[in-house]
Amino acid sequence: MRLSDFIAIGLGLALTAYALLAGADFGAGILHLTFTGRPHQQGSLTRTIGPLWEANHVWLIFCITILFSAFPAAFAALGRVLLAPFTLVLMALVVRGVAFGVLSGAAGLERADRLLGRAFGAASVIAPLLFGASAAAVAQVSSAARTASAAPAGGTPLSVPWTGLFAGMVGLLAVALCAHLGAVFMTSRLERAGEMRLVDGFRRRGLQTGTALLGFSVLALLVAAWKAPSVWHRLTTAGLALVVIGLLATVASVISLARRRYSTARGATLLAGGALMWGWFIAQSPHLIGTRLTIDTAAATAPALTALAVAGGLVLIAVLPAFYLLYVLFARPSPEVTE
Amino acid sequence: MSSPGFAVISHLTAGRGQMGTSLSFHLFFAVLGVGLPLMMLTAEGMHLRTGDPVWRALARRWSKVFALLFAVGAASGTIISFELGLLWPRFMAFAGGIIGLPFSLEGAAFFIEAIFVGIYLYGWNRLSPRAHWLAGFPIALSAAASAFFIVTANAWMNVPRGFQLSHGRVTHVNVLAAMFNPAWATETTHMVLGAYLATTFGVAAVYAVGMLRGRRDAYHRKAITVSLAMAAIIAPLQLGVGDLLGRTVAQHQPATLAAIEGVSHTESGAGLNVGGIPLPGHATTVFNVKVPNLLSLLAYDRPNAPVRGLDTFPKVDRTPLAGWTRLSFIGMVGIGTGLVVLSLWYWLRRRRNGPAPEDRYTLLALAAAGPLAFLANELGWLVSELGRQPWVVYGVFRTASAITTASGLGATFAGFTILYLGLSLVTVWGVRRITTGTPDHGHAPALSVA
Ligand code: HDD
Ligand code: HEM
Ligand code: HEM
Repeated sequence: MRLSDFIAIGLGLALTAYALLAGADFGAGILHLTFTGRPHQQGSLTRTIGPLWEANHVWLIFCITILFSAFPAAFAALGRVLLAPFTLVLMALVVRGVAFGVLSGAAGLERADRLLGRAFGAASVIAPLLFGASAAAVAQVSSAARTASAAPAGGTPLSVPWTGLFAGMVGLLAVALCAHLGAVFMTSRLERAGEMRLVDGFRRRGLQTGTALLGFSVLALLVAAWKAPSVWHRLTTAGLALVVIGLLATVASVISLARRRYSTARGATLLAGGALMWGWFIAQSPHLIGTRLTIDTAAATAPALTALAVAGGLVLIAVLPAFYLLYVLFARPSPEVTE
Repeated sequence: MSSPGFAVISHLTAGRGQMGTSLSFHLFFAVLGVGLPLMMLTAEGMHLRTGDPVWRALARRWSKVFALLFAVGAASGTIISFELGLLWPRFMAFAGGIIGLPFSLEGAAFFIEAIFVGIYLYGWNRLSPRAHWLAGFPIALSAAASAFFIVTANAWMNVPRGFQLSHGRVTHVNVLAAMFNPAWATETTHMVLGAYLATTFGVAAVYAVGMLRGRRDAYHRKAITVSLAMAAIIAPLQLGVGDLLGRTVAQHQPATLAAIEGVSHTESGAGLNVGGIPLPGHATTVFNVKVPNLLSLLAYDRPNAPVRGLDTFPKVDRTPLAGWTRLSFIGMVGIGTGLVVLSLWYWLRRRRNGPAPEDRYTLLALAAAGPLAFLANELGWLVSELGRQPWVVYGVFRTASAITTASGLGATFAGFTILYLGLSLVTVWGVRRITTGTPDHGHAPALSVA
């Protein structure tokens, strides 16, 4: 394996960290929406993600910087074809940040809080929906079209069907995964904090979202077989093991929730999410975009890659212990309203 | 710049407008993100030393406001990093592999910052007072570090180094030489000081307004004292660093220097235009006051050194916005000089431990200085960006060749502009919700906050 392959794996890991950790925060926003009018549940959600969500969000920034430093041609190509969906994602992200910041900054009039909560929740649905749809659309790009636009100047626009049926299905799948992550994380945290009164509501949400996750996974696979044959083909060959693991883990998560084994459910959900992400990566490798642009052709020059690998390693050595500290310190949401 | 007949603005203008709007929006919060942690640390440290509850109340109030502004800063920064690819894919395909290192290191700084922001903001009751105070240090340090890293990237765009071009392909990349290009030291120092300056004057302005409204209590006095103490150190430094930065520009970006100094024809022993304010759209300038030989002296250390005029550059290689560049520059330098004068004047009147000047005019001047210090930062960026035109990477890559080929920029520009306007309003409203809410429990109601 070349250095660029290791960096691509690192990028995949960082993207998985973002999908699972920030995904749970999006999930909190989605659940917030479903608990409109129930201040206890909503309060426990904002208190739980308050100290964590900014740090989780940085995984996205980290992915972007690795992508454009190590694979500038891929970043450029993606930027060109995903202008519309990513513009909407960015708008959702900034609305979400501002709404959450104002909401958790100070309590205000009830009507204002409700409006902010709605904005926070809606944006938390839109972002994963479009992230999922964009990912599915990029996976569908096939080598059948004209040759890759690796050159900095121009190149043929790829056709990226982010509004297609398959993309929509995967978007819904992403939303369900986030909501399920959020619900499962909440049950195990609240259980440890001894807030049994609240656990039940989240358990119910976990059962609902887990079922939805399972349903959308199966549906997405069926739609792939029908509408995105190249993706279906790769998922059922290279990615098959991970697809099966993902489906089984989702079932395990729902069963553990039903039996009130909250930490087992959390582990199973993380496994399901990880299998989903890596199923996609494996099915696509060695390509960064569908079956068009390979890791090798998109890679920056060797000195740039070396510098990036060294810097990235140092970053993780500095950051991971701090991350651990953060999660230990806020392992349970504080029972009192914090400032 | 080509403009299709039916469009209101051209594709390129829409892209530049969107980038500029996003950056100006972000810069406002970025500056506070760098500066406020330092002030929170100072106030909390004073509380640990003196036990005075007013210091603690200040630190807590500032940290709550910071929490909101940090959230907006993080979200708007994310927009920019995506926009680099969405708006300028060709530029990023070229530059990503050269200047990615500082961006990746900046990612590290963001991580540390965001993690400790979580610990600091939500840890008041979970950590000992000392440990809590210490948790603020990584925030202040990594915020300054992130500003440092991002600005080395911008310095590279002004003075590109660390690569070769052969047949349009990038070769011989040296990422360290790119990052530590000749402009890195002066540009980054100038930016970080600019951020501290805007924050200190901004905070002073908030409390000056409070005093003008009659809230003359210990809380307001302490806030103004600590801000102006910091400002009085930083403002003169910024003047000096600005001069050094001017020399960097003179050496490496002659076309930019000619634009910012308003030198249209080559002169030896060039004088410094102190007035010479351009009227955009006109060829003439007003208030033509010139100090003989000063520009040559400042830029090249020799009173008779020649300074190249703008008209010696081919038309395609000089900024089409020279007038606006010059205006922004005059604005920045004027404000910077004013801030130095104001902070020195304040401390001269106050002397050691004497009563602070609290007359109406001092307070009004302080109230005005805050927004102006923020404006100076925005103007500085305009100088740097407009002065570099028509290049996105000076002398190497043209802005017009960097813009995306995807269509629809008019719509995204309009969408983001409306969004930013709305978000600004919501943020102001959110800060007011925090500052007009009930003051921190356990303190006398006299401690209400501006
Ligand atoms: C004054 C220094 C400064 C300047 C000129 C910029 N930034 Fe910034 N940025 C910061 C100082 C900063 C900060 C203080 O570190 C922020 C502000 C609030 C925050 O969340 O961190 C931040 C946040 C921030 C974030 C979010 C990080 C997070 O989640 O914490 C990103 C992705 C960027 N910035 C990217 C950029 C880009 C691409 C810029 C210009 C091209 C830029 N920033 C200019
Ligand atoms: C490495 C980091 C940066 C990159 C890649 C970058 C890139 C660009 C590009 C491509 C443009 C459009 C071309 C132009 O109009 O000049 C632009 C404009 C601009 N940038 Fe930079 N820039 C960077 C750093 C910054 C920073 C940190 C700021 C301040 C926050 C800034 C402030 C501006 C402003 C105000 C404009 C608008 C100028 C205009 O409309 O012409 N830039 N930037
Ligand atoms: C008082 C005298 C000042 C001088 C002589 C001065 C000089 C300069 C020069 C020559 C540039 C252009 C650099 C380029 O083209 O890349 C610049 C940029 C800039 N200035 Fe100033 N400046 C002064 C005051 C200030 C003040 C008071 C602030 C903010 C509070 C400020 C903020 C900035 C910023 C943010 C930039 C762009 C980023 C950078 O290049 O670091 N400046 N300044």
